[in-house]
Amino acid sequence: MKTLENPRVGVFVCECGGNISDVVDVKRVVKAASEWENVVVARHYTYMCSKPGVELIRQSIKKRGLNRVVIACCTPKMHRKMFERNVEEEGVNLAFLEVVNIREQCSWVHHEDPEGATLKAIDLIKGAVKKVEKATPLYPGKMPVKQAVLVIGGGIAGITAALRVAETGIKVYLVEKEPTIGGHMAKYAKVFPTLDCAQCILTPKMGEVAENTNIELLTLAEVVSVEGVPGDFKVKIKLKPRGVDVEKCVGCGACNRVCPVETVSDFDEGLGKRKAIYIPFPQAVPSAYVIDFNSCTKCGKCVEKCPRKAINLDDTEKEIEINVGAIIVATGFKLFDLSEYGEYKYGIHPNVITALQMERLMNVTGPTSGAIVRPSDGGEVKKIGYVLCAGSRDTNKGKPYCSRVCCLYAIKQALMMKEFMEGLDIWIHYIDLRAAGRRYEEFYKNAQIEGVKFVRGKVSEIIPDGDQLIVRAEDTTLGRPIENRYDLVVLCPPIVPSPEITKLAEILKIPLDEDGFVLEKHPKLDPVSTKREGIFACGVILGPKDIQTSVSEAEGAAAKAINFLIQKEKIIEPNKAYLATPEECDACGECIEVCPTEAISIASDKVEINEILCNGCGACIPACPKEALDLKGLSDEQLMAEIEGVLTGSESEIKILAFVENEIAYTALDLTGVARLSYPSSIRVIPVPSTSRLKLKHILYAFAKGADGIMFLEAPEHEGPFGKAHAIAEERIENYRFDIEDYDIDSVRIWFSKVYVPDWRKLVKVFETFDRMIKDEGPIDQETRENLLKKLEEESE
Amino acid sequence: MAKYAFFLGCIAPLRYPGLEAATKKVMQHFGIELLDLNGASCCPAPGVFGSFDLWNWLVIAARNLSLGESLGADLTTICNGCYATLQEAWHILKEDPGKRRSVNEILSKINRTYNAKTGIKHVIEVFTNDIGIDKIKSSVKNPLEGLKVAIHYGCHFLKPRKIRGHGSSEKPHILEDIVKALGAEPIYYKEKLLCCGAGGGVRAGNLDTALEITARKLKSVKEAGADCILHPCSFCHFQFDRGQVELRERKGLEFNIPVIHLVQLIGLAVGIDPKSLGLYENEIPPTYLDKLGLG
Ligand SMILES: Cc1cc2nc3c(=O)[nH]c(=O)nc-3n(C[C@H](O)[C@H](O)[C@H](O)COP(=O)(O)OP(=O)(O)OC[C@H]3O[C@@H](n4cnc5c(N)ncnc54)[C@H](O)[C@@H]3O)c2cc1C
Ligand code: SF4
Ligand code: SF4
Ligand code: SF4
Ligand code: SF4
Repeated sequence: MKTLENPRVGVFVCECGGNISDVVDVKRVVKAASEWENVVVARHYTYMCSKPGVELIRQSIKKRGLNRVVIACCTPKMHRKMFERNVEEEGVNLAFLEVVNIREQCSWVHHEDPEGATLKAIDLIKGAVKKVEKATPLYPGKMPVKQAVLVIGGGIAGITAALRVAETGIKVYLVEKEPTIGGHMAKYAKVFPTLDCAQCILTPKMGEVAENTNIELLTLAEVVSVEGVPGDFKVKIKLKPRGVDVEKCVGCGACNRVCPVETVSDFDEGLGKRKAIYIPFPQAVPSAYVIDFNSCTKCGKCVEKCPRKAINLDDTEKEIEINVGAIIVATGFKLFDLSEYGEYKYGIHPNVITALQMERLMNVTGPTSGAIVRPSDGGEVKKIGYVLCAGSRDTNKGKPYCSRVCCLYAIKQALMMKEFMEGLDIWIHYIDLRAAGRRYEEFYKNAQIEGVKFVRGKVSEIIPDGDQLIVRAEDTTLGRPIENRYDLVVLCPPIVPSPEITKLAEILKIPLDEDGFVLEKHPKLDPVSTKREGIFACGVILGPKDIQTSVSEAEGAAAKAINFLIQKEKIIEPNKAYLATPEECDACGECIEVCPTEAISIASDKVEINEILCNGCGACIPACPKEALDLKGLSDEQLMAEIEGVLTGSESEIKILAFVENEIAYTALDLTGVARLSYPSSIRVIPVPSTSRLKLKHILYAFAKGADGIMFLEAPEHEGPFGKAHAIAEERIENYRFDIEDYDIDSVRIWFSKVYVPDWRKLVKVFETFDRMIKDEGPIDQETRENLLKKLEEESE
Repeated sequence: MAKYAFFLGCIAPLRYPGLEAATKKVMQHFGIELLDLNGASCCPAPGVFGSFDLWNWLVIAARNLSLGESLGADLTTICNGCYATLQEAWHILKEDPGKRRSVNEILSKINRTYNAKTGIKHVIEVFTNDIGIDKIKSSVKNPLEGLKVAIHYGCHFLKPRKIRGHGSSEKPHILEDIVKALGAEPIYYKEKLLCCGAGGGVRAGNLDTALEITARKLKSVKEAGADCILHPCSFCHFQFDRGQVELRERKGLEFNIPVIHLVQLIGLAVGIDPKSLGLYENEIPPTYLDKLGLG
């Protein structure tokens, strides 16, 4: 391994078949470079990325004993990885390789200014040479990825994901808070648009979960904490007492018959009754009874009767810990509580029910064995009214969004009733009927043909009148208010995320969106990943949707999790923050505040940075008042060297330094090159993970060393790779703008821009404007620079 | 004890002076000081003025509010319409410094300014916040036992919900709480949340439509077997009371449901003489007094 002592640098300038050399005078560049200290080889070649080009570099390393390599060519996003591999094979650590972008950032954007382009290329290469001289070797780490997946939520989405992952032989823990899996779908009689029997398609899947030896099913379970890192999560799970041994219970029901306690059935949405020892529904999985300890009086009658001695009234809560590589969140939904809507009389009149209660009412396993009767008196139902968008699409008291399935399940319920209740009059009050999706419009049409009445207009008030209800609504088609009398009114409330997600999201450290649903990594292109690596989501917890889409997402999330696991070993990138001078750190915690990944913690009297969690944004480094932290791969020393190099390579009239965030902003910058736009050659780029990496001293040093203006191009908080570090950057730079005034540098010499990739064309304007501003200001005079340098030296002592 | 500048509005002094008298008596009873608001004008009415010219509506409202500010007191009112205008104007001028500046430019011509330091409280708020339900309950001398009361809130007291800030506009309970504290029984009737018919300039613009709504409301109150309609608003009072005469004359409809304002009902319960509460000044005689043995 080549070491730090006596740098022997090789500079390789690519012509890119004229793409570079038609504008940049490569001979002049090579000549300039060959005169710098420590540069042993300086060569140019037609295509550095071609086989002979790479061979030229490899041979030079071998023959001339190079231990540092600088390649000036196209953007590092193109070939850096390939060059890395090659120089490493020659024994040069990846930290000792620099790739300088003189195509996208030089020849392609300064085609009208060859002289400027050439000088700029010399500067950029000198920066890289200086930086690489100060490099220390970097070694990527490796960690094993735990071959197990945790699925949270056992609705149709969670069940599907669990089965799919388990099929590959990977171990799955399926955590469900209720006594059975199945979720909402288990409550339905049939599902739209096919009118399949819900149980018939769901219960076989539930059975598969029970039988699959790769799946460990944990019901009445709750995730209480998640520690560790993606690839190696340590999860604590609380198991509430069930009172019945799942292995022993054969489901005979003897206990249920003798239990004297009756209480409201939550599975029946409060419409029916059940005993304190019960099974939610006959096909429940696990197929065993459960005691509701909130209502059980511990009379012991069930214990006496149980032929299998399965019951333990003293059952207690347990906690277990599991270890998984990835997590899938599938906690589904809840219906919004409509009691805020006094006008609908929900909770006030028993004949105003929710659509979920209706699902139970029309289900043969439901509280009325499928008979649709008035909950108030069991009376006959002749006319039913549906209120769609009962709280959805309402910015006033409800939810602003469309819940996406209510139009369709209302049609489903109406069609089912039309089939078995002759003469039933069904009215559906809607504001827009949304039946987008395969076969959905046809489904709607079918209901119209069957005589379901659709009235367009909002319901303003529901007025109880004995056992009946008067619904006042608008009929916008006829343009007048109408009033109907119904025996039963069904409300279709907003679908909201299951409430436990608020706490769960905190435990998992994943962000939620403005409505409380799990935020996708990317709404279009990465829709089943969360913002955190190794954690995926599917089903309604990502937003309202039907079963079909929930299942597709579950398949996607499973594939993502499997993909994440099959790496077996995860590479840990080496560019991490570290405590460079531990003796300085007094554990003040300033760095902890800013870290977007919570990678820093206090270990006894110092901070400790978790290598795996740290993403190398660098935001913590300027936060440390003691300057105890540094960044591997871009240390303070390297940055200073690079700044100096870039500013002292050539003589140019005005020099503007641009610190560019390396992912979003850098990509935008490359695009201006690809489009062959043109901007002033005064702009010299230094890529940084995030501009929050920069300290005030870097900026002052740049002004002292020849910069006339400094730009900061940063990724936006929500698009960039480092989350809040991008926001911290903006805040920090704003402060530096004031700070430099104390050193007699005008604040206009600092420019900050947030860059979105699609905005790349605008960058040209930004550069032109700042260039003009700085030219108007003129260069900083030598005296100011010297004073500044002196001050900086004093301060560092 | 708290003090308020009493904003009379137009209806009370011009049509039902008894309401003003009742308010003064009841407030005196509870030790709330009422200041006279010299120079007050029409609020101006939210429907009739606000619907046509929001800007001048705001300026005039600001002028009325500024009178209270000069006295260093919040206004109070017994009319939902006045409340609607003045509370909303207060809210706007408190939240929007730009509008406040423009309004004050105009007010400066008459040497007035309004800085939204004081605003307005409905008498209901005075009863529930300053006096409190418990105090009201303990002050009752004539429990109104057996009195079946149909409560009417009036639209402007509750809506817009977010600005008024009295909780649910569809499931309100403040008046029920007071009525129960007085010993009377609030009864359910279908059209409880329906408008009295007068508001929004409908009475002025189209009396027939206004009366149609009133009739619907009264019919529902009648069916429910109420002894009286209770409300917190001079304008609703006018519409329900005078409206019954108009319904008789124009449509031949007879209801004979006595109408009583919240201040009057409380006055009655705490033992103030029915005559001095103006109960006999209504078109529809207070037949419930016999039932209560107070006639
Ligand atoms: C009235 C109604 C009728 C519908 N009819 C149809 C239809 O006919 N066809 C159709 O395609 N779609 C229909 N839908 C939509 C359908 O219900 C959903 O698409 C589907 O249920 C989504 O499945 P899921 O697994 O994402 O969520 P869910 O079914 O809600 O399942 C989530 C599961 O996670 C569990 N859970 C929640 N929080 C936690 C936690 N913290 N820890 C552990 N477990 C947790 C829950 O107990 C539940 O078992 C209907 C919706 C409604 C409201
Ligand atoms: S009696 Fe025992 S075996 Fe039978 S259902 Fe109950 S718990 Fe299970
Ligand atoms: S012990 Fe509890 S569950 Fe068992 S029979 Fe008695 S009340 Fe029912
Ligand atoms: S799906 Fe239909 S009922 Fe549901 S919110 Fe959307 S438009 Fe309204
Ligand atoms: S702030 Fe950035 S560089 Fe520092 S520890 Fe956190 S993730 Fe790593």
